Amino acid sequence: MMRVSLLKRLTVISALLALILALAVGLGISIGSTGNYLKEVLAALFKGQPADSVLATIIWQIRLPRVILAFLVGAALSLGGLVFQALLRNPLAEPYILGISGGSAIGAIGGIILGFSYFPGVGLLSFAGSIATLALLLFMSSGQTVLKKDSLLLSGVMVNAFCAAVIMFLVSLTRDSRLHNIIFWLMGDLSMADTKQVGLLALALVPCFLTVFWLSNRMNLLLLGQETAQSLGVNIKFTTLALLITTSFMVSGTVSFCGLIGFVGLVMPHLLRLFIGPDHRILVPACILGGGAYLVLCDLLARTLPGQGEMPAGVVTALIGAPLFIYLLKRSRK
Amino acid sequence: MQGSELKNKAEQREKKYARRLLGPLTNYRRALAVLLAMAVFCPANPTALAGRLSKDRLGREVMLPDNPRRVVALAPSITEIIYALGLEKHLVGATLYSDYPARALGLPRVGSYVNLDLEKIVALKPDLCIAIKDGNPKAIIDRLEDLKIPVYAVDPRNLDSVMDTIVSLGRLFNARQRADLLVRGMSFRIQRVKQTLVDLEHRPGVFFQIGVAPIVSVGTNTFIHELIVLAGGENLAAGSVPYPRYNWEHLLALAPEIIIITSMTKAAVFEQVKAQWDQWPQIPAVRDQRVYIENSDLFDRPSPRLVDALEVLARLIHPERVGDGLK
Repeated sequence: MMRVSLLKRLTVISALLALILALAVGLGISIGSTGNYLKEVLAALFKGQPADSVLATIIWQIRLPRVILAFLVGAALSLGGLVFQALLRNPLAEPYILGISGGSAIGAIGGIILGFSYFPGVGLLSFAGSIATLALLLFMSSGQTVLKKDSLLLSGVMVNAFCAAVIMFLVSLTRDSRLHNIIFWLMGDLSMADTKQVGLLALALVPCFLTVFWLSNRMNLLLLGQETAQSLGVNIKFTTLALLITTSFMVSGTVSFCGLIGFVGLVMPHLLRLFIGPDHRILVPACILGGGAYLVLCDLLARTLPGQGEMPAGVVTALIGAPLFIYLLKRSRK
Repeated sequence: MQGSELKNKAEQREKKYARRLLGPLTNYRRALAVLLAMAVFCPANPTALAGRLSKDRLGREVMLPDNPRRVVALAPSITEIIYALGLEKHLVGATLYSDYPARALGLPRVGSYVNLDLEKIVALKPDLCIAIKDGNPKAIIDRLEDLKIPVYAVDPRNLDSVMDTIVSLGRLFNARQRADLLVRGMSFRIQRVKQTLVDLEHRPGVFFQIGVAPIVSVGTNTFIHELIVLAGGENLAAGSVPYPRYNWEHLLALAPEIIIITSMTKAAVFEQVKAQWDQWPQIPAVRDQRVYIENSDLFDRPSPRLVDALEVLARLIHPERVGDGLK
């Protein structure tokens, strides 16, 4: 009985979010700086390739990889937020706020300055950076069975400040023209997506998504408290470690591709929990689809807002996310 | 050492060409007028091949179209060079801030040179993009190549490499004679400045300020340094740091004899900056009222107008020699 209703809920919610995602992707590939091609995209969907080859290049080779990248990054980051919120039992936990994104950015920038290629050099250093900040964070708040809201956030703020300083230090050490790129990249830039790289990222992220989905029921049990979870047969150490490493891997993957995109992991899990409730077996796929759609739309906004060229997607997500963070913090204090 | 190398090259060019020139060319538009006259006598070069491989400044082998007809210039300096060559009819796109000559403002924009809008470039259906080696991000160049748009990278950094770039672009567009003439005009004017400033007994110390807050100047490996030296000054910020920062303590110790400020912003800012300098009458340049502001776009990109910049500097640094003689 329980299983059936769960499956039904999962299907309905996933289908709904998939529809929203499809709409977001459709808009994402239809709208851009050279014009809006809604009709052409629809025609292409039903009749195959559009006749105009320039249009085809713009839609399929420039906009589509970018939209897919936005989906992957949005999905990974909101999943990251969801996992951290469950593991640390803290509604305000999120890779960016905790400083884990910052740590992997240090690794990635180090890699760029040393002249490594994106894969594997920059990616690996970025992963090392995120694991190191995570370890630092856990060490700072160790000894507490439940990581208290404020102490964890304070640790995160400090880790973030430290990372920002290290990044500025590294940037001011380099005197070459890559500096421009680093600063733009830091704000979360999705514009460099090419089909090969996006494929590579998908290859790295999709197994992570599956792993988190596989562990989603244990996340539910962990939320009941460690003792209860243990008595229900959950291997706490393994589960926690697997989730933390998977999440750090996802976060460092996205950071080394497109820099720091903050607050996605805060906005989506909260929004979805509001509608769906606290069951992670549904929340995990919902976060993947919804978080992906959210970043696709944020990026669409970022590249169509009038201005001197396009702005990084991280600007838009922070403009939306930071006020929400303050609201949630205020509410959680009541 | 860079200066002396440049000197030799420029002198060689000068020896070769000076006799052929009828009179001083004061700007490249006039050079073009002469060129058009010459074009009547010189038949077009019939060496067009079916696509050609050419090595660019990034060391890449690029398959170039025979006659580029739809070109996007990925930096303001390139737009300027193409206009100076009179080849703007082949230009279909330029970057933000490509504002010289004023006619270039009418070209479609493809983003700024570090943050290019790929979609807009593709929509212009270019048969060639011209990039600058250390300015445009390599990732963009790779992306354009993926999309089957050839990208030819050039590397204008100082007077000599601007002239090299002009020659390469002349070859690219099958317009060698125009390029030659433009380069000859530039060499002639450089040589004329040198002759005017020969046997200087004193090279005044120049502080060239390109940033207001913080105060930023230019190190040895910049074209402004080269211009200051050629214009008979001593660059007080010479050194390995390309764009060193300064504080007032440093500046008092440096005691510049001439201060030149370039500003993209309006005169109001200049008055503020000048007021800051005026607090320190012990600085020779302030005492002698030799604090100048100059149009920054003459000094902020490596284009054929570097020669104009050189003449401006020579006049500011050595008014006793130059007077109104160069223009």
